[in-house]
Amino acid sequence: MRAIYEDLVVCGVDAADAEDAIRQVGRFLFRKGFVKDTYVDAVAAREKEFPTGLQLKNLAVAMPHTAGVHVNTPAVCVAKLAHPVQFAHMGDPETEVQAELLFMMAIQNPDAQLETLQKVMKVFTDEAAVAEFKAAGDRESLYQAAKRHIG
Amino acid sequence: MAKHVKILCVCGSGTVSSAMVANKLKEKLADYGYAVEATECSPNSAETALASGGFSLMACVSPVYQEFGVPKVNAVGMLTGLSEDQVLQDCLKILEKE
Repeated sequence: MRAIYEDLVVCGVDAADAEDAIRQVGRFLFRKGFVKDTYVDAVAAREKEFPTGLQLKNLAVAMPHTAGVHVNTPAVCVAKLAHPVQFAHMGDPETEVQAELLFMMAIQNPDAQLETLQKVMKVFTDEAAVAEFKAAGDRESLYQAAKRHIG
Repeated sequence: MAKHVKILCVCGSGTVSSAMVANKLKEKLADYGYAVEATECSPNSAETALASGGFSLMACVSPVYQEFGVPKVNAVGMLTGLSEDQVLQDCLKILEKE
């Protein structure tokens, strides 16, 4: 199942904080019609209650998401931030991470999109894949990495 | 014959991250002879989800502060890969006691 689209891979998002990052990146999903106009607010609200920052081995990421009712077409928006932004860690809101990369998930039905979820998770747990995402310096190389690993 | 066990996977929205963890647990625990039946829910619906009974443990990626008499395992390490084995061992310890 396709989850990565060239229009949804972005570099250099200059965000002031986690909410700003979510709003800026979510706009890409909204503008291209992947999500409803309720999506960004829903993701921002959910992030405050249930944070999605993840400290991986050599990189901190965040995977903001929300319920499927806000989604039109499943996709993963991959966004590299211009500078790290503080997110709270998933499962442990007291721990803060400096996220450099956002995997913003537009998931409609987790059972139907399980393959995509598995692939994203595989990236998180695969040191070499994480290194590839980290090293990607421009949109094209980020897109190639996302395409290859998530599809 | 695989041993059938029920695991409740808890995440913020009861969908995305819990589905990731559920899948990983099914995969990993199958190697130890467990057939995992996973149910996914949000912390707010944990009580309702547990009402059907028979759950061996709760694998949580969002903090669940309430006690329901079912052991909890912090499963965030499954997502980051940093403590995948630890999460697995925590689960096995609980399952083997049954």
